[in-house]
Amino acid sequence: MASSSEGLGLGFGSEDVDPSIAMTTDVELLKRAWRNEKAAPEILQFQHELVQRSSEQVQLMEETVEDFEQNGADPLTVSVYQMDLDRMQFLLRSYLRIRLQKIVKYMIHISKSEAWSRLSEQEQKFSKRCMDDMEKHLNQSVLSRLPYGYQSILKQSISSEEDDMVPQPHLDTYVFCKSRTPLGALQIADGEDPMDVLADFLYLFHYKSIRSFVESGHVDLF
Amino acid sequence: MYGRRASQLLKELSTSEPGQLTSFNTDLFDQALKECNAHHLELQSLMRKIQEEELDVQTTRNAEHFGAVIHHLSLIRNKRCLMAYMYNRAVIIQSLRWKLGPVLPQEIQEKLNFSEEEYFKNYSAALESYASELELDLTVDMVPPKDPYIKVRVLDDIGDVLLSDQSPNLACHSIHFLKRTDAEQFISQGLMEELLG
Repeated sequence: MASSSEGLGLGFGSEDVDPSIAMTTDVELLKRAWRNEKAAPEILQFQHELVQRSSEQVQLMEETVEDFEQNGADPLTVSVYQMDLDRMQFLLRSYLRIRLQKIVKYMIHISKSEAWSRLSEQEQKFSKRCMDDMEKHLNQSVLSRLPYGYQSILKQSISSEEDDMVPQPHLDTYVFCKSRTPLGALQIADGEDPMDVLADFLYLFHYKSIRSFVESGHVDLF
Repeated sequence: MYGRRASQLLKELSTSEPGQLTSFNTDLFDQALKECNAHHLELQSLMRKIQEEELDVQTTRNAEHFGAVIHHLSLIRNKRCLMAYMYNRAVIIQSLRWKLGPVLPQEIQEKLNFSEEEYFKNYSAALESYASELELDLTVDMVPPKDPYIKVRVLDDIGDVLLSDQSPNLACHSIHFLKRTDAEQFISQGLMEELLG
């Protein structure tokens, strides 16, 4: 039971477990992915395998809880398992939800940039549909009723040289972050002295200055 | 004054309760659109004038040119306002789908224009097909769970229902101890309230 409870992501007995192992359970990984996604202004790489494993775990936990209920196990045990299941499901759903919100907000920008490849297959489908729906909606209520030359959804008028009507994520917002390893001297802002970034210290940086470290998994957002 | 009507639309939007829709202002909206087309006519006639005088459109800087610029800028400003009005309403409509589910109550439905109603249905369908591909309902579990069970008071006669672990009789004003995931759908429809503390 002790070994299987770890596998199910229960927090029990985590004191006896090596913290470096505890940090790499799927629950921790999902929590980290969820936090990063929540704090980052742009959409991050979809954690395909992690989501896959997590949904399998949720299924497994559901079966366990059901088994317990049928076999008349101790109600307290059942409710602890149930709570763990609920938390896992919340994390999973919330992770997917935050992504959808970002996709809907920046769908045109995402579809035209490298960010497109960070979406899962289902998200790409969803994004396409949403884009078509929004375009149709704006077309029939505003754009098609404007004079010729002003009907683009991307540009203010035909004389705009680039797409100036597409909402984009603000990459220079500030984010709280912690590095897992010392990053050494880092040029955080233009014209300022490089800063020595240590491991496990909480910093407040421009997102764009640590963007590559978030992508590579060296820095976590909070 | 140019652009006043369109900016009134946005004022209306920004003074309304956050997350709540006001009735679609068809009147003002159509007037702003009409203004756009009027600007365009003026713009064209000024451009024609420049051409008739056989001046180079690119380099001429006479009264006609500056007049045309004003009409052009007023037009794109109106376009931005109209788009912002539509778009921000669409964002609220999206959030309503998350909060209220696939069917909007009559009193909200009345505030939408035709295109918005259609947009709501399409957005709802897109969300549903995404959720069904994942086999996961994303609209439940909106707040982090503290306890699997919560105490709720029933606000309307719901009657006997089959929930995942019990089948209580949800009579009006009765108080129950339900699974949070079961109760959430009733709470979002306003049929129950959570009793805190």
